[in-house]
Amino acid sequence: MAITSVKNLKEFSTANERFEGAHLLCPGCAHSMIVRELMNCSDDNLVIAANTGCLEVSTAVYPYTAWDTSWIHIGFENAATAASGAEAMYKARKRKGTLKNPDAPVKFVAFGGDGSTYDIGFQWLNGAVERGHDFTYICLDNEVYANTGGQRSSSTPIGSSSTTAPAGRVSYGEKQNKKDMMSIMAASGAKYVAQVSPNKWKNMAQVFQKSLATEGPCYINAISACCTEWKFDPKDTIHISDLATDSLVFPLYEIVDGHELNINYRPKNIIPVRDYLGSQGRFKHLFKPQFEHVLNEWQTRVDAQWDYLQRREAARV
Amino acid sequence: MSLENILSNAQRGQRELGAEKKVGWDEVTQGVVINAFEYDATNVSRELSEDRKYSDFSSYTATVASWRIIKPIYNRDICIDCQNCWVWCPDTSIISRDKQMLGIDYDHCKGCGVCVEVCPTNPKSLLMFAETADGEECLAGWPVKEKKAKETETE
Amino acid sequence: MAEKIELQKVEVWDGNYAASHALRQAQVDVVAAYPITPSTPIVENYGQFVADGYIDGEFVMVESEHAAMSGCVGAAASGGRVATATSSQGFALMVEVLYQASGMRLPIVLNVVNRALASPLNVRGDHSDMYLGRDSGWIQMDAFNAQEAYDMNLCAFRVGEHMDIRLPVMVHQDGFITSHTAQNVNPLSDEEAYKFVGVYNPVEEMLDFSRPVTYGAQTEEDWHYEHKARQHKALMDARPVIESVFAEFQKVSGRQYKRVETYMTEDAEVIIVALGTTVESARVAAKQLREEEGIKAGVVAPRVLRPFPFDAIRDALQNCKAIGAMDRSSPGGALGMLFNEVSAAMYTTSARPVMSNYIYGLGGRDLSINAIKDIYRELQENATAGEITTPVQQFISLRGPKLSFFETRRS
Repeated sequence: MAITSVKNLKEFSTANERFEGAHLLCPGCAHSMIVRELMNCSDDNLVIAANTGCLEVSTAVYPYTAWDTSWIHIGFENAATAASGAEAMYKARKRKGTLKNPDAPVKFVAFGGDGSTYDIGFQWLNGAVERGHDFTYICLDNEVYANTGGQRSSSTPIGSSSTTAPAGRVSYGEKQNKKDMMSIMAASGAKYVAQVSPNKWKNMAQVFQKSLATEGPCYINAISACCTEWKFDPKDTIHISDLATDSLVFPLYEIVDGHELNINYRPKNIIPVRDYLGSQGRFKHLFKPQFEHVLNEWQTRVDAQWDYLQRREAARV
Repeated sequence: MSLENILSNAQRGQRELGAEKKVGWDEVTQGVVINAFEYDATNVSRELSEDRKYSDFSSYTATVASWRIIKPIYNRDICIDCQNCWVWCPDTSIISRDKQMLGIDYDHCKGCGVCVEVCPTNPKSLLMFAETADGEECLAGWPVKEKKAKETETE
Repeated sequence: MAEKIELQKVEVWDGNYAASHALRQAQVDVVAAYPITPSTPIVENYGQFVADGYIDGEFVMVESEHAAMSGCVGAAASGGRVATATSSQGFALMVEVLYQASGMRLPIVLNVVNRALASPLNVRGDHSDMYLGRDSGWIQMDAFNAQEAYDMNLCAFRVGEHMDIRLPVMVHQDGFITSHTAQNVNPLSDEEAYKFVGVYNPVEEMLDFSRPVTYGAQTEEDWHYEHKARQHKALMDARPVIESVFAEFQKVSGRQYKRVETYMTEDAEVIIVALGTTVESARVAAKQLREEEGIKAGVVAPRVLRPFPFDAIRDALQNCKAIGAMDRSSPGGALGMLFNEVSAAMYTTSARPVMSNYIYGLGGRDLSINAIKDIYRELQENATAGEITTPVQQFISLRGPKLSFFETRRS
């Protein structure tokens, strides 16, 4: 595989752009930071499948495409299966000698938002991973159905206000905890599973390159700060992402072969969870006195998760 | 390759979205497919944008400049070419060549302001101004170094 | 390179096995499948052919029928030959992706072994699933027996992959009666069959890296209509292509097919229009009635349901006096599909045969030769009277009180 150097940003910046501008994603959208970096960190031919969602409706609106590679969108739920089919066809045609570029390296990638990954496309993704197709699935996780105006998904965190789990006078909003897709995918047979965030660009690029180089199914949960639905200023996307990773709300770690857990980022100064929550409109109501307990529970839960991850890493099991 | 040469690329940012010619049913593409290039694109990942032959279907040829109400202005004199703005630009609008930041692609920039926020220099090498502001005047009135500036964390 | 199989001149195959041999001979590159009764053996057999080295393709066993068609779309967009099979509930689950396959102009071949739709759950054959697919933009070809299941599959690849068409094709056969009944089948040799089907020619393939392609773009009100119109044009253009493929198939097989199959229609006064295995039953009944009672009975059967053979139906029924349109699908508060579409075809001519609609055989209920004869006798009464003597829609071979709907205003 042809790797673009990501040793430092100066070297990485010599990569040739493969994700074009004038797509329709919101100003400041983290989706495009993630997608651009994935496409720029490899020279290989990519066959990309996308679920319905913000990324899909913004990057291939006839008569325009923002994609410099082959790309397909079928439905809300089936990008992983489209990638499966493409990968199967590649294998069949390679064996038969009917490929036009038989020696060209190719990687199969699927994108989905958290709605299509955690909810409606869960079965399709799980099936494709179980079957062992050689592809990388990247969830652009903004914890809400942003494309349709902010409905809760099973990735929406406790205490967040969404249109279908709104906060109000007597409710603090979302009651369910975010689904643990990392563990689920590791247990489903993904060879490599990692959580990344665009503010840690180098880790993200390294994880992308590792997953593209890994034979078999890989799952990347990419935290995608959404200025529109998280309600922050578009210029602050990277700042909010910094708060997410430094408060350990989004710990960056990987699980290799379903069991070997490595923490990829340890903040020098761990910041309080309430600093992260307070930076976004979706959690604003939690700072009212009657919902103070939710803030406390948040910190306790994040501490417990960090403790668990560190013990899993140390145990080497 | 100078910024002027890159920006003068005749293909880039030519059309407002929605302003494309509305052809009839007999001229739309079979199966709604879109081909991004008009030439053998086998090596496209190893070619610079300005050396490619995009088709009219690539959004590279379109512009979203009209979305913008504020715009970033770039001050070359202060820039340290850290490439923070390049890696985090969501709109492929920071033009860097040979590890040097050259400037901004105003046809694709939506004015989100991320590049300014992630700029680590003091004063910043990128600042947001009104879309109508005059570039030369902005540069002439560029702020001086702040004494107790809080550094943006970088990798 | 895949091994060949030396076939007998006459093989004893059921419809499923016949279909899977056609897929083998066409050297299908990818089958993404989720088996469902009664179509299960088609993809099982493909898997066995792969396991035995008779096909070089990839057999992808997915986790639902929706995923099966999704995998087929991903594979077909990657520039190779793709097929699968389904029935009933599985077909219903696939529907979303059927529209996407046809909109993307991907020549996938889908064997639909017809079966009833729940509720109540039923595994037997009726045409509910076939009818469900009729607006999906696919070409639909109907096989009435195992031989035709084999033949139609070979023709389906040729039609769908034709450069002017590039559309997916369904090949229908009746659940169990065709799919699980062993019959004599005259196959082509592997060489003849592959020569007829031909090498797959990719169009806009995702694996041609010299020409990256975006599939599945969004279109809103300023583009969607033109794209759907172009797609419909391709579907309508399939009519002469189907005829030329059938003509070529006759040259290699000796078997002649038409978009509308007719039986004893030249002088027929009363004609039954039907699909599937009922066509063969109706032919037996028509022949017997002519010999026993002198009723000039005939049978008309759409071989191709989509694009609807409006012209050929009209021509075949031009001179008859009464038509019984037989719909093997619960009509959902309307006249049956065949009744409506055949009536529409007749209404564009000056001929005004008396039209009536028979609902029958739901959930695999047998339709006897005698029941069909009763229909012909009723049609004869209509023909003699010059007007309909019964309600327009009747449920037949049904227990309980007589059930009928849609009275006519009689003169």
